[in-house]
Amino acid sequence: MTERGDNLCSHCLLPIGLRAMQRTVNGEDCAFCCYGCCIAFQVKHGKSEEWEAAWLLIRLGVGAFLTMNIMLISLVLYAGTFSGADAWLLPWIHLLLWIFATPALVILGEPYLRETWAQAAQGRVTSSALVVLGVGAAYAYSIFATIEGSEQVYFDTATMVLMLFTIGSYIEAAGRAKAARDLEPLLAAESECATVVDEGTESRRPVRDIGAGMLVRVKPGERVPVDGVVMEGLSHTDEAVITGESRQVAKRVGSAVIAGSINLDGPLLIQSSGAGSATRWAQICRSVRDALSRRSPIQRIADRVVGVSVPFVLILGGLTVAYWAQLMPFDQALLVGLAVLVVACPCAVGLAAPLATSLGIGRLARCGCLVRDPGTLEALARTRLLAFDKTGTLTSGRSRIVGIESDGAGTDEVLARAAGLERHSEHGLAHAIIMAATARGLEPVVTSDVRAVPGRGVLGNADGQPMAAGNSALMGDLGWSLAPALRERARSLEASGHSVIYVGWAGRVHAVLSLDDTPLPEAHSMIEALRSLGLHVTLLTGDLAPAARRVAAVIGIEDMQACLSPETKRAALDQYRPSYEVVAMVGDGLNDGPVLADADVGIAVGSATDLARETASLVLPPGGLWMLPWVIAVARKVRRTILTNLLWAFGYNLVALTLAALGVLQPVLAAAVMASSSLLLVINSQQLSRLPDPALSVIPERPLSAESDSVSRGLGMPVIAGPAIERS
Amino acid sequence: MTYYLVIFAAGFAGSFHCIGMCGGFACALGHDPRGRIATVERHLLYNAGRLTTYCFLGGIAGALGAVLCTSRGIEVPVLNGPLDAAQRFLAIAAGLLMIAMALQFFGLLQGFHRVTVGFGGSTLAVSLRSLLKSPSPTAPVAFGVFNGFLPCPLVYAFAAQAASTAGALPGFLVMLSFGLGTFPAMLMMGGVGRMLAPAWRQRGVWLAGSFILVLGLITLSRGVLPFAAHVHALPGGPG
Repeated sequence: MTERGDNLCSHCLLPIGLRAMQRTVNGEDCAFCCYGCCIAFQVKHGKSEEWEAAWLLIRLGVGAFLTMNIMLISLVLYAGTFSGADAWLLPWIHLLLWIFATPALVILGEPYLRETWAQAAQGRVTSSALVVLGVGAAYAYSIFATIEGSEQVYFDTATMVLMLFTIGSYIEAAGRAKAARDLEPLLAAESECATVVDEGTESRRPVRDIGAGMLVRVKPGERVPVDGVVMEGLSHTDEAVITGESRQVAKRVGSAVIAGSINLDGPLLIQSSGAGSATRWAQICRSVRDALSRRSPIQRIADRVVGVSVPFVLILGGLTVAYWAQLMPFDQALLVGLAVLVVACPCAVGLAAPLATSLGIGRLARCGCLVRDPGTLEALARTRLLAFDKTGTLTSGRSRIVGIESDGAGTDEVLARAAGLERHSEHGLAHAIIMAATARGLEPVVTSDVRAVPGRGVLGNADGQPMAAGNSALMGDLGWSLAPALRERARSLEASGHSVIYVGWAGRVHAVLSLDDTPLPEAHSMIEALRSLGLHVTLLTGDLAPAARRVAAVIGIEDMQACLSPETKRAALDQYRPSYEVVAMVGDGLNDGPVLADADVGIAVGSATDLARETASLVLPPGGLWMLPWVIAVARKVRRTILTNLLWAFGYNLVALTLAALGVLQPVLAAAVMASSSLLLVINSQQLSRLPDPALSVIPERPLSAESDSVSRGLGMPVIAGPAIERS
Repeated sequence: MTYYLVIFAAGFAGSFHCIGMCGGFACALGHDPRGRIATVERHLLYNAGRLTTYCFLGGIAGALGAVLCTSRGIEVPVLNGPLDAAQRFLAIAAGLLMIAMALQFFGLLQGFHRVTVGFGGSTLAVSLRSLLKSPSPTAPVAFGVFNGFLPCPLVYAFAAQAASTAGALPGFLVMLSFGLGTFPAMLMMGGVGRMLAPAWRQRGVWLAGSFILVLGLITLSRGVLPFAAHVHALPGGPG
């Protein structure tokens, strides 16, 4: 992929922004967001025979050697060893310090100097300029002091500040990468290699080069790189990344496997069923990368604050030196100014939002929930109203038989006869009847001469009798009689939004089947959980009011609007805006496109469409509606983390800045304080990756059929498409 | 002076322990193809790096001890408790730590050993690996510097001793004596390789353990005994 490394740091997976560092590691082009990531990545991934990785370490080591020696000599100086009789040695000691400090400064300061230079060439001032200026001033002053033979030099401060900054950014980068390691499997589809078996020889190839029909070997512990069918082997896989459910699925010869799932036990040989870049995993990967490289509103504000603050801090540093120079010797005033510059480095502010957001996105994606924009999490956290679509979102979207009214004929007989007819039909409702018959273990009655009457129903013959199943018009055409009680019941069922099928044989209508879309088993507890999070829940549906009212009553929604077209749905959502400010819409992603795009947060459940064309900003996995309360809880946690991070970073900087400007904070301490402030942000954000998995207890036990459905839908194919493909 | 000689001797005895881990590194650093002088130079650079780190740790530990014990020399005192009590507390803590370290050398307290050695060691070891093979002439210095930071109970024990001196300068001197004490063995390892038989190494480890145990007991007694039995006569704290 061309976008690899363009916008995310190779080490910590945060967006790079303006200050990218390009390096080649292990023959691959890598980009880093900061110097710390550059070092940490090479320490972790650099091969020992590679020059650059070792060279960075040598620089650090030699820099540390010189710095520590400078510190030790300074320590002896501060202890007063060269006062009195030995005072003649002092200039020589200062000269020695100068000799040590110069290479240390060059070695440790070069990356900061280079960045400052590159940014200055483009007319920007970044925080590294603060370091360069402060340290440079201390160094330059110390040179003058050495030449003039004055008492005090500050080579130790200059080198120690640089050393602490380097170590601090290294530790911080290592911490960020550790926090973001959850993101790696989600981004791996673009970088991972697969073992392709071609006529007995095995070769490693990038996943994106794999085409349909290729054989791929997957070892235990590896990720399945492509969608396909098992040709050889026996194992279990974990499909959590795709379906959101972390459980083991048994795989044997002939089983379908999903790209991105982890092969747990045994080696598998898989025949690829499509291109490696067209799998849902690859789509998820692209989606997560896109989301990570975007900026949220809070982040944009923070970045702007950082950009504005640097020149401001420079002025403040200058004023501090000017002020203190009147009260104390110039060299000490300079040190106070250095402390101000060092402590005002706004590294932590720039880190506050992106780290928390990307951890949140990674945490959600690991359970199959895709966030397409970092701003979504912030908006979702502030959402106070959730509007639901009914069909296919809160309900299964497939009709089921909910009632059988008859004039005395047995339920089983009615079902067996209806199933015998509908077996030959491809109508959507036919499926529901056959399912019901199968569930009761009924054998469909053998039916001959079956023919469909378009828009009416099905006709046929069984046991020498004519048989029919269809609507009232079909029965009217046939002239079959209908008991008045049955007619009345059918009419009231139709009025309340049920689909009704008349079943008749031997010249008479014997039964009326009522079919309805059933609410999902998890819907009720989920609505309850949402309400306990303080959210207002409403139902916006295009269905008839009675049907909507019935579903709303079952799942416990009080507020609802029915008979809405997509346009009026948008209008209805807009009506809620004044009182609820931020509103979210939950739909199935197919019919609700415009409304989802219009809501502050559009949430699509089980989208089978191409993710790239998806209009919703948050996509839950197929059958993943039950995770919604958890997703909102995560979003709120992310927002809270960002706010505490910002509060902490600003507060810390302000307090430290005040102390530094008052001359209380020594520059070396200031550098240590700065490093620790970013580290604290990393630790504070890290709790996001440790958030618990969504509680499965929310769902009441699901029927097995629904379970297997959700797995097959996980492939991104509509259920009905399966047999259709077989037939063609 | 006697105090530092004792530390030097302890470092020398303790360096037989070093042969197990750091000696391996010294061996890996090996011979320089450019000849004997280049090899000696290589190992001197490595040991200089190591010594610098030790001294630095000693200075830091001593300064921390000073911060705990006295407000002199440090601008922001962390604790302002009674001066004598704090110093006693530090001596007791350092003494106990040293005794715990010493017991490890006799094969006791293994769980404690894992805690001290496991902390952050793996990242450093990875860093070291890529330096060992580097042809750069300055690589041994960098290698020595990182080596000095490797988690090692011996270094911790003496850092604790350095902290108990409650002064940056005496702390630095403690670690300097200790580091110099480890010089002979480490240089020998670099030049001669694994000369000593395992049995002798084991005896060396016990010797090191005994030394640290005695030092630990002395340090502890400084904190516990009614009148402070200071072995050294240096003024505490930087001026």
